[in-house]
Amino acid sequence: MKRSKISHAPRPTPHAPQAADLLLEIGTEELPAAYLPDLIDQLRREAAALLAANHLTAGEVSAWGAPRRLVLHIRALCAVQRKPAVEVRGPSQQAAYDKEGNPTQALLGFLRSQQGSVNHTKLISGDKGAYVFLVKPAITTPTVKVLPELLPQLIGKLKAPKTMRWDASGVRFARPIRWLLALYGTTPIRCTCGRLSSAARTWIDGPKHPRAVAVKSPEQYLAALTRSGTLLNQDERRAWIEQTINKAAKQAGGRIAPEMISYGLLDEVTHLVERPVPLEGRFDSSYLALPREVLLASMAKHQRVFAIDAGSKLAPRLVAILEGTPAKPQQVRQVIERILNARLADSLLFWKEDLKRPLETVPISGIAVHEKLGSMQDKAERLRQLAHTLAELWQLGPEERRDLERACRLAKADLATTMVREFPTLQGIMGKHYALQQGEPRAVAEAIGEHYLPLADKLPKTLLGGALSIIDKYDTLAGYFSIGIQPTGDQDPFGLRRAAQGIVEVAWSVHRPLRLDALLKTRATLKPFGANAQADAAAIGRGIRQYLVDRLYTFAWPKPAPSVDCIDAVLASPGDDLIDLMDRIRMLQQLYGHPALLKAAKVIERTRNILKGASVSQRDVDPAHLKEAPERTLWDLYQQQHGRVAELAQRKSYADATRLFGEQFFEPLHAFFDHVLVNVPEEPLKQNRLALMRAIHQLYTDRIADLSKLSILQTAQPKES
Amino acid sequence: MQLQRLIRTLDTFWEKRDCAIVQPYDMAMGAGTFHPATFFGALGPQPSRVAYVQPSRRPTDGRYGENPLRMQRYYQYQVLLKPTPDNMQQLYLESLRACGIRLEDHDIRFVQDDWESPTLGAWGLGWEVWMDSLEVTQFTYFQQVGGIDLEHIACEITYGLERIAMFAQRTEGVYQLAYGPGVSYGDLHLANEKEGSEYNFHHADVALHQELFAKYETDAKRLLAAKMLMPAYEQLLQCSHTFNLLDARGAVSQSDRPRFVLRIRSLAKQCAELYLERITGAGGGSQGTGEASAK
Repeated sequence: MKRSKISHAPRPTPHAPQAADLLLEIGTEELPAAYLPDLIDQLRREAAALLAANHLTAGEVSAWGAPRRLVLHIRALCAVQRKPAVEVRGPSQQAAYDKEGNPTQALLGFLRSQQGSVNHTKLISGDKGAYVFLVKPAITTPTVKVLPELLPQLIGKLKAPKTMRWDASGVRFARPIRWLLALYGTTPIRCTCGRLSSAARTWIDGPKHPRAVAVKSPEQYLAALTRSGTLLNQDERRAWIEQTINKAAKQAGGRIAPEMISYGLLDEVTHLVERPVPLEGRFDSSYLALPREVLLASMAKHQRVFAIDAGSKLAPRLVAILEGTPAKPQQVRQVIERILNARLADSLLFWKEDLKRPLETVPISGIAVHEKLGSMQDKAERLRQLAHTLAELWQLGPEERRDLERACRLAKADLATTMVREFPTLQGIMGKHYALQQGEPRAVAEAIGEHYLPLADKLPKTLLGGALSIIDKYDTLAGYFSIGIQPTGDQDPFGLRRAAQGIVEVAWSVHRPLRLDALLKTRATLKPFGANAQADAAAIGRGIRQYLVDRLYTFAWPKPAPSVDCIDAVLASPGDDLIDLMDRIRMLQQLYGHPALLKAAKVIERTRNILKGASVSQRDVDPAHLKEAPERTLWDLYQQQHGRVAELAQRKSYADATRLFGEQFFEPLHAFFDHVLVNVPEEPLKQNRLALMRAIHQLYTDRIADLSKLSILQTAQPKES
Repeated sequence: MQLQRLIRTLDTFWEKRDCAIVQPYDMAMGAGTFHPATFFGALGPQPSRVAYVQPSRRPTDGRYGENPLRMQRYYQYQVLLKPTPDNMQQLYLESLRACGIRLEDHDIRFVQDDWESPTLGAWGLGWEVWMDSLEVTQFTYFQQVGGIDLEHIACEITYGLERIAMFAQRTEGVYQLAYGPGVSYGDLHLANEKEGSEYNFHHADVALHQELFAKYETDAKRLLAAKMLMPAYEQLLQCSHTFNLLDARGAVSQSDRPRFVLRIRSLAKQCAELYLERITGAGGGSQGTGEASAK
């Protein structure tokens, strides 16, 4: 086979000593496919970092990997390491020499630790007196002498999610390391890793018929691998596999089922083989009666074979990717087909068994959510109650309410079905299929099917799917918070961060009011929740609210995403409806850079500055105490405009409200500050002015955002119109 | 190759590689790992090389004899080597060849499997070995047993004997396998698979087994207090199998499960500690007790 495109022509360098290519191969027993992409990436990054830290220059650094090997290839690595001269500070002159001018123990100790001699020291005076410095001359070392130490360091830096030991050497890695090959040009580099020493040979042809091949140079290594049919470069391997499957699918009149790529099977298979060979097969078409997701789960998860779409439905075909070409492909095909047919027969049995029992009679009281949070039965009841609240907020019609309530009741039933016990990732999806088969309304079935979303960028498409998704996650979040379990740092064993993030994502896509207070009030009446109902509920509620709104900082906002200060500004203002908060944030982002926003921000900033630290004891402005013209103007303006601003805010026309506020108040406020002193000795005058400032300030900040948080205030000045 | 010959072939293969061929443990257990030769053999610094057949009971896997691949009672062939030779994978593949399997005809894959036995407090890293997409063997480098981190690593190979025989004989299902002269696997086991599945799923007395579980557990604790190692371990085996039966009867709810598992694991840990105390003369010796590093 001649598929590899890794080119390996040597690069001549004109000057001696000549740079050469470095090759390091870490031969292992089969590394987990899920670890490989990251291991390859680490190998490249760590190698580049190690070169830089060790004064080694080189050309392109590449890393490749397959189940049984991780390979580092560095082009034109310099032949000599040149460590520049350095001056190392030692003890002070006072401490370094005794009265007679002889070196003290302090100086001698320093020199010993630095392996230097007193002849190479000098005194340098600075602000803090004179110090002894050891001058270490530039050192050049042949690269071949540096590598035996560096390469094991590099291997030691590779990390995996789970590591193991395989002998008493104490070395840990994702799987056992069985050979090392290190070559610098044509020079073998001798290095060790645990009990293992490098040798100038590699192993090819897989574990079935391992063949040791002596290797004299990096070029020869790559050529030997190519000859054996190994596609070492993972990107080329992935592309080749995808192309090959597509070709097979096309010949069969279809195309590769898109889930095979989106669910990661292509990536996984890429890292399960190094000499990919396709094998086509079929399965019994009677199994096409099973839901698509069940077929895909059996094929992708259990056997790692690819499914083919013919039109909009699956074809009874498969494409397997084998490691190397078996001598009897027909036999292999028969076995793969037989195993798949047997698995699908099992699934069909589950499907028929499960359908015998209506979802509403499936007992779920034995399935615990958490030992302190009751069973799934309890949860279903809580969902029903939360659904009432959400139905009010969203003003659902009677039919929608009925469907949502029904969906709440059935949502968790599939957890007790045989199919979901066999394929846990089909939760929700099976519920939907069983509901449809049992004659439930489509809206009910879709809501059940969508309520675990968002997953892999998929969001609920139906209104009731969105509703159920939100209340399911809200119940989870509130439940765990109420028993004192909250995510900390990276630890989130109950998936609460994902649940909160999911609520924000789904709520934004549905875009209907989500009043957190109303949800909390409902949830707090449902067991279990906090020990001492009222006091706890308030504190827990604050915790949940805070946690949810904090997700706005990590939410994947539609581009252009609002900057952090927009979110800060809105969250500093009151607001209970998550969607309303998000709308205001979006508005600030859209007005960002607009002069009206800057003006409004200036008004907020100036009024805030004057109110800061002042004690305002007067509630309302008393027009009788308005002395100066600019303050009367400002008060009249407030009288005229505050109703309009408030009304626009009330109608959620936040952009209009902001424009109006900024355009109306900026200049009069400016004039006011130019001519009127707020902090006058006469308390009534001062209080009255502070009250006026506060009225203007709060007119906006109580409704929309505290614009003093915006960072544009630090950089831009509004143009005077 | 008939199944009985396959077993003899593996015995001979591993005997030639200095393994003691021991006999199945005479109690019901879920896997060969529960055999004392493996559970205790994996602990401590002393070398272990054993191979044996272990009939294994998986009540929930029963399919009334209707599934060609799944059974509630089947045979595992188990090998444990400590220390682990560097050519462990090669030894395994050679043993398949010895069984008459032409490796070049097949697609053989080592697919990641982070093996774990929560009840035994044991975990290890390795693979499911796939032959033409069917799992035929579990291959594990133990990292922890009885909740104790291992310094001396043992490798466990668990062959699915029936599945390997199906490849060697090229039959489509387990019940058609030739077991010995004139006797098929079905002749020997099909009736029991049907009846066994019936028993596991419908007839096993839940109240009785719940009571038995508690009694076995109490007895294990009493025996551990009296430092009676093997008698205590045998009560653990009883607990484990009773739990599996209750599970098949649907009598273990999701919330009960972790508690059952923890109760058995706690016994396993104490047995492991008692064993190490015996062979080293004191506590865990150099072996750390690393519950924290368990998955």
